[in-house]
Amino acid sequence: MSKSIEAMWKQGFVDEGELSVPKVNDLYNQKSQNIVDKLQAMFALNIKAIIIGCGVMFIVMTMIGAPLLGGYICLLVSPLIYIAKRELSKSYDLSKGQSSLDYLQNFDLWLKSSIAAYGAYYRVAYPLLYLGMVTQAIMSQAGHKVLALCLTQLPTDYVLFDVPYYLWLVILLVFVVVVRYSEAIYRFDLNVVYGRQFKKLEEIIADMRELKGV
Amino acid sequence: MGSDFYQQSILPYAGIIIKICRAYTHNHADFEDYYQEVCLQIWRSRANFNKQAKWSTWVYKVALNVCLTHLKQHKRGERRFASDALSELEFDEVKAFDSDEINQLYNAIKHLSEIDRAVILLYLEEKSYAEIAEIIGASSNSIGVRVSRIKERINKIIHQMG
Repeated sequence: MSKSIEAMWKQGFVDEGELSVPKVNDLYNQKSQNIVDKLQAMFALNIKAIIIGCGVMFIVMTMIGAPLLGGYICLLVSPLIYIAKRELSKSYDLSKGQSSLDYLQNFDLWLKSSIAAYGAYYRVAYPLLYLGMVTQAIMSQAGHKVLALCLTQLPTDYVLFDVPYYLWLVILLVFVVVVRYSEAIYRFDLNVVYGRQFKKLEEIIADMRELKGV
Repeated sequence: MGSDFYQQSILPYAGIIIKICRAYTHNHADFEDYYQEVCLQIWRSRANFNKQAKWSTWVYKVALNVCLTHLKQHKRGERRFASDALSELEFDEVKAFDSDEINQLYNAIKHLSEIDRAVILLYLEEKSYAEIAEIIGASSNSIGVRVSRIKERINKIIHQMG
């Protein structure tokens, strides 16, 4: 080693002349694809989880003596699986032949319309699920015991399907709450699972817009 | 980026960004990723720049932070730390530059720990010990000793590489 590293460095970069600077005009190509791929993978996994969960739920419900409720839940979930698959396939059809920003903005629009479609489903599904659970509770042996106990403790002449009126009032009140907040519950769930990715997507779009001076 | 910001605030420092990114990557695709990420991070964090410091110091700091963070995230398998067991080193001959000497020097630098790489790059770019200390967040007293140790080690590695 005759030459010092300082001399090697200096001489090397003098000979090197101008360093070749990479192009930075399509900064977000890779990032855009990564975030989209990640979200699509999460949605696909979610569909599988729903299908498996549905099967497990039916088995468990059958084992605890509530096969009808299990079947009812599966029936309720089927439209969700259909919606999820339909929405996901729409995302695969988004055109990639545009700029990264256009592609991500389209993806974001698709995401918002998908969330709206899911929201519409949950507005109906949660109340129906609640009604199914109430029906199961009233029809079950444990439910009969509770109803009998209620009528013993708080007797009344106003009874419908063996259920005293004050329990109907409670059931109705909870039903109203479920109807009112079903979509909010869905959006809360959604943020717990996907919140970080959604935020990242928003940040990338905001960055790209600022870069492009949009 | 294509903006005035890139032309005025990044391009004049592209050389050092390239040199730093080269020291932390093993192929051209990764190098381009790191370079772009550094440019973006400089642009994103421009509001945090303390105007009392030098802009170049800020650029170095951001470049090193991005490279070190990315390296941690993307690391798979072995980590390479400075070690005296030179016989066990595998020399990957990366031809990042036209000059054979520079490539040889870079390949030696890549056998240093991440922080030592940063220190020697800044030293070779003729930054003062105080500036190096500020950029890597260490005490300036230790930099001189550290540089000597790193240079010794690089010379050893280059000698081994023949």
